[in-house]
Amino acid sequence: MADLDKLINLDGAVAAFNFSSKGELQESRISADSEMTDAILDLVAHVCVANTSIATMQARGWENVTGSGGFYPVKGFSLIGFDWTVIANEEAGVIMPNDNTDYEAAYAALEA
Amino acid sequence: MSVISDLVATPGVIAAGEYTYRGDRFTYDGQLDYETARMASIMCRATTMAVHMETDMLKHLKADCGCAPARGWVVRGDKMTVCVMANVFCFIDNANGSLNDIMAYLREHVESSETMLV
Amino acid sequence: MIKQIMILDGVMAVAHFRDDGELVEGYGMGGQEEQANLAHFAHNYKRLVQGNADQLSMFTGIRGWTPPGGWVVRGARYTVCSVGNVVCLFDGSEGHLNEVMQELRGASQW
Repeated sequence: MADLDKLINLDGAVAAFNFSSKGELQESRISADSEMTDAILDLVAHVCVANTSIATMQARGWENVTGSGGFYPVKGFSLIGFDWTVIANEEAGVIMPNDNTDYEAAYAALEA
Repeated sequence: MSVISDLVATPGVIAAGEYTYRGDRFTYDGQLDYETARMASIMCRATTMAVHMETDMLKHLKADCGCAPARGWVVRGDKMTVCVMANVFCFIDNANGSLNDIMAYLREHVESSETMLV
Repeated sequence: MIKQIMILDGVMAVAHFRDDGELVEGYGMGGQEEQANLAHFAHNYKRLVQGNADQLSMFTGIRGWTPPGGWVVRGARYTVCSVGNVVCLFDGSEGHLNEVMQELRGASQW
């Protein structure tokens, strides 16, 4: 399980959260000046699980049809919203402002 | 230089392209054959439609806090990553490309798509 | 014309929407605003399912996925289902999905 304290301490991180394989929020860290709530994070977690499933279907189909690898297993899904970005793997995610998103640091922390 | 040619000239980028939201046309450049690029454009368009739907719903469910309208998405694979901003897609070799640099470029050069979606 | 779907057991709302998601005609629930929300949701869901069907068609190499006929989301109590540009919300403890889908298929061809 990802270390939420490490994720929330990434530069600019607004929230960090763990979720079940069904997308239900299990644990969270929310920065003091953020508007995020656990109810919002629960919905965002469901979005991450849904898209990771779809991406996995696409990776499997793509690899079957093209014969090329590289996408499976899917390591993460990110949604770039209007103001913020959520970066997630299959069990945890972190939300960062668009103008201060460090994907590589986020993936490194998620995969640690 | 266009956005696509800029992207293709970026280290680690395998291919880049753009699709119409209607799904009737696409263009691309890079190391994919035509049929593979066509499939990539179909997949990217489908996921773009999905994330737009999801962020619209989050907004509607009062869980917005800055997510809607969606600007793009990223799927990180084992060795490759696909990233999309509006209707521009880009395939990256994880070992040789910088996702941070490519996303910063896309955010700066590709406009939000909300008004163009049909 | 879709009004007659309201007489089926358990049906709480029905809406007909344009290809851009705008409500054409709606009945039931709280009123026009909620019907418009249902129409908007159904429009988005239709696009999502269309995208999934396109990909299943592409990846499986067999015919029959597209164009998608409709979709159903079955909740613990309520079910939302749609065929074409008509969507219906009903209470699963009172209504029957087969019956509703049959009526929706008919209504989508009007």
